[in-house]
Amino acid sequence: MAAALQEPTTPTFRDIDRGVLRVMDFPGMAYWIWIAFCFSLVAIAAILWTRQIYEGLGVTGLRQPVMWAIYITNFVFWVGIAHSGTLISAILYLFRTRWRTAVYRAAETMTLFAVATAGLFPMIHLGRPWFLYWLLPYPNERYLQPNFRSPLVWDAFAVSTYLTISALFLFMGLIPDVANAREHAQGWRKKFYSILALGWQGTDRQWHHFAMAYLLMAGLATPLVISVHSVVSWDFAMAQLPGWHSTIFAPYFVAGAIFSGVAMVMTLLIPMRKWLHIEDLVTPWHIDSLAKIVLLTSLVVSYSYATESFMVWYSGDKIEQMTFHMRYFGPWGWIFWVMILCNCLIPLVLFSPRIRVNMKALWIISIFVNIGMWFERFDIIAGSLTTNFNPAQWHFYTPSITEIMITVGSFAWFLGLFSLFAKFLPIVSMTELKEGIGFLRQAIRKGSSTSA
Amino acid sequence: MSAQVEPASALASGAPVAPAGPVAGTAFKAVMAIFVAAGVIGFALNVGGANAARAWQAYLVNLLVWLGIAQGGVVMLAAFYLCNGRWAGTTQYRLAETFAGFIPLGFLLFFGLYFGRTLIFPWVLHPIAQKAAWLNTPFLFARDGIGLAIMTVLSLWLVRLSRTKEAAEWQRDSESILLVPNPIRRVAPALAICFAIVYTIIAFDLVMSLAPVWRSTLFGWYFFAGAFWSAAAAMALVAVIMRGLLGGNNAFKNPQVMRDIGLTVFAFSIFWIYLLFAQYIVIWYGDIPVETFFIVVRAYYPPWQALSYAVVILMWMIPFLTLLGVRPKKTPAILGAVSLCGVIGIWLERYVLVVPSLSPHTVPFGWVEILVTLGFFGAFVLCSLPGLDRLAASAAREVWVEEHE
Amino acid sequence: MTLGMSAAMEIIGSFADEHLCVRGIEDLHKAQVRNLRVFYPFPSHRIEHAMGKPKSKVRLFVLIGGITGILTALAITIGTSWEWNLVAGGKPIISWPPFIIICFELMILFGGISAVTSFLVNAGLPAFESKSGYQSRFSEDRFGVVVKCDGADSARIEKIESILRNAGAEEVLREAA
Repeated sequence: MAAALQEPTTPTFRDIDRGVLRVMDFPGMAYWIWIAFCFSLVAIAAILWTRQIYEGLGVTGLRQPVMWAIYITNFVFWVGIAHSGTLISAILYLFRTRWRTAVYRAAETMTLFAVATAGLFPMIHLGRPWFLYWLLPYPNERYLQPNFRSPLVWDAFAVSTYLTISALFLFMGLIPDVANAREHAQGWRKKFYSILALGWQGTDRQWHHFAMAYLLMAGLATPLVISVHSVVSWDFAMAQLPGWHSTIFAPYFVAGAIFSGVAMVMTLLIPMRKWLHIEDLVTPWHIDSLAKIVLLTSLVVSYSYATESFMVWYSGDKIEQMTFHMRYFGPWGWIFWVMILCNCLIPLVLFSPRIRVNMKALWIISIFVNIGMWFERFDIIAGSLTTNFNPAQWHFYTPSITEIMITVGSFAWFLGLFSLFAKFLPIVSMTELKEGIGFLRQAIRKGSSTSA
Repeated sequence: MSAQVEPASALASGAPVAPAGPVAGTAFKAVMAIFVAAGVIGFALNVGGANAARAWQAYLVNLLVWLGIAQGGVVMLAAFYLCNGRWAGTTQYRLAETFAGFIPLGFLLFFGLYFGRTLIFPWVLHPIAQKAAWLNTPFLFARDGIGLAIMTVLSLWLVRLSRTKEAAEWQRDSESILLVPNPIRRVAPALAICFAIVYTIIAFDLVMSLAPVWRSTLFGWYFFAGAFWSAAAAMALVAVIMRGLLGGNNAFKNPQVMRDIGLTVFAFSIFWIYLLFAQYIVIWYGDIPVETFFIVVRAYYPPWQALSYAVVILMWMIPFLTLLGVRPKKTPAILGAVSLCGVIGIWLERYVLVVPSLSPHTVPFGWVEILVTLGFFGAFVLCSLPGLDRLAASAAREVWVEEHE
Repeated sequence: MTLGMSAAMEIIGSFADEHLCVRGIEDLHKAQVRNLRVFYPFPSHRIEHAMGKPKSKVRLFVLIGGITGILTALAITIGTSWEWNLVAGGKPIISWPPFIIICFELMILFGGISAVTSFLVNAGLPAFESKSGYQSRFSEDRFGVVVKCDGADSARIEKIESILRNAGAEEVLREAA
């Protein structure tokens, strides 16, 4: 009650507008060099992909029995990265979480570009990518249709639905913000924002339907996000292969996805808030909340590792036990232990409230988490395939330069697209910050009192 | 949007707002005591005779159901603290604490299983050499006993901390972003983590091991998510009953509060069916006999098939279809009926998880099961009475004030 | 007054505070002044509540979209399976568990698309003309209440203006519509 009397009055609505719109000022030279750097890496990857299409998949390191390796790892990794965006924008919206307002736009943008990156990998992994449309049912004279009993077909439906819905959700949330940006912009930008805003002026009628549609989109996106990574996990769990066939895969992959995704949000936001001078909009309070989600999902992932290992021991199944023995102590054992270190042990320091507001420490932890989660996917996919049922077939995969450069290119593609968005569209939601301005004021005051 | 709850000033209304006496009258308590007596007698008469196995199965099923609800409620309490959930002031917290009184009793009742171990666990009389390191009597009772002891201590500790004055102040202040006061900030996450671990082990030991060759990595998660959901359903049921019982204006008259309670039931019901489906599809697709037999017995052949379908209808289909809209969530009669279905559903679910492993071809149901269930129910209600009194006091104090100016 | 010509007139009250704007709306409603148009810069539950509109029809369209999605999914999964009964992986021709997944995904896809489309249609977007009474600061930090009335009825105009002022409007303008 006493707090209400001394309610702080800054920042005002104007301060929020100024803070966000300043980010979209005309970018400097360093920015363009960064963009050029990113897209030249993408160009290298594109050239290598073209060569791969021309020569065939022999240019990769894929050999029997390891026919799924880095490309599929990247696919799963990027789909996973995408998930946190929907978690923050949709699930936390339904939970009426206060701190999401400052970070959700960046997270949602990340979602869109991460799905767009992920969607490339199944195509890259195809020997004849021009037959991609065979995944869709269409009438043909051969009576050949996609096999809807195959998890790969579910995946095609799930990922394309996810791409569509996250694009629509992001676009919807942007409408009131670009309408605001339109009022401040000049020249071609004004035209650009006017087109995107679709003539939005924030009338009661517009907001009335907007609020309902946004709520329903959040309600649809929430089960969607869980289903998408579950379907991705079922690409593996449906098989009888030891190391893949496990009922826990669906929720375990979802937790892992959110874990790596929120870590990626932190990796992007922590430097961004400094470079773009939005420390007053994205406060330590917001980042602290993200860190708590990383901690929670890290615990869930650790639980899943432990349950899987326990069940292999408990089942008494010799072949499963062999696979897991190879996973811990085989030639790729180090990957497993790096993964345990990055995903289970390092995030435990987030139990300390002081670490959770230490931006440098958080940034380093988030990088470790990203590495750990990439390794986890690689270990599950390539690791389980390496030692299949027939020892005569065992083969250890080594990635080729094509695969490595395409992987690097995917990171560049993602970062490049994200950077373009951040400079030309509002990367922090102005409308929602205004809606929850009281909490933002408290957060700023709290931040200044802890740092002082 | 936030449901603002303000304590009605006793000065302003000129009358004491808390109810004069305890929620339950002597007659009600007597009925519950009779239930307990009937349960004890029913169990005692059967446990020595031909129905001994049935008596022990009913005992195990009811222990899992009622301890699950009580423990799930305290985990919900921890979850409220961890999520800064403050949509119904202190009432929300009292509601989650309601059933905590049963936890110590449930802990003691767990050790009763020791005397029925030969009739419950197939591996006691027919040990499995490969699994003997895990499935042996002393280790099972030691690990589960220690686990439940930890849960009991943490639960009672959290409930105690939650009823302090400073916790209550925090619970009422929905406009602040400050975290909950310190001891709770430590105990709540510890409780949630221990719950996941201990109840996974309980699921593996007390349910999965009844079919010793079967395995499913998700089973532990599925089991404790079910317990958590059953607590949500029981809380909704109590909220609806309390709303009518208190009469006049009370915290549960607020449609927003009812909607949030309904939303919890709705959301975690979907989560439960998701976990069920995630296990089912992997086992169905893999088609490996050591995994499929568990489902085949329950879902593919009579007599268990109908009961398995009933579980899905009660725990998912009814909550999903009825609570999809906003209005049914705010309608107490609908919310109450759905939660009652949920509580019956969770009982049936635990029954279908446990019993077919021991009795695959017949559904043992009769006086033995009914009496034991009544006994557990009576004990559960009697243990919850102090919690209900506190809830009633809080709900009567925090009357609904419409916020829109 | 020019020859009693009843030109339509708009009164625009702008507020710096959400609560004052809500008070203005409520006072106007009390004085039987309906058909207001309110501009506000962020989604405000208070203003929405004060306006007291019936629930948005978007809900209905999403429901229809979702059901259409499920039916479409059933049609394509069952239809293509029946087109040539080919057993794959030892699974039944009509395998419910996988088909449920497709049904779910298409339910979300169709539901989401109809949510956005029906929002645009219901909200009158894209709009090519500016709404009368709009000021650019209503997209930034001000709340605008616009009342349309008969230009000749000066008593009513003054009454509306005084209601807006008394509610705490920082500026009240008249504009020919």
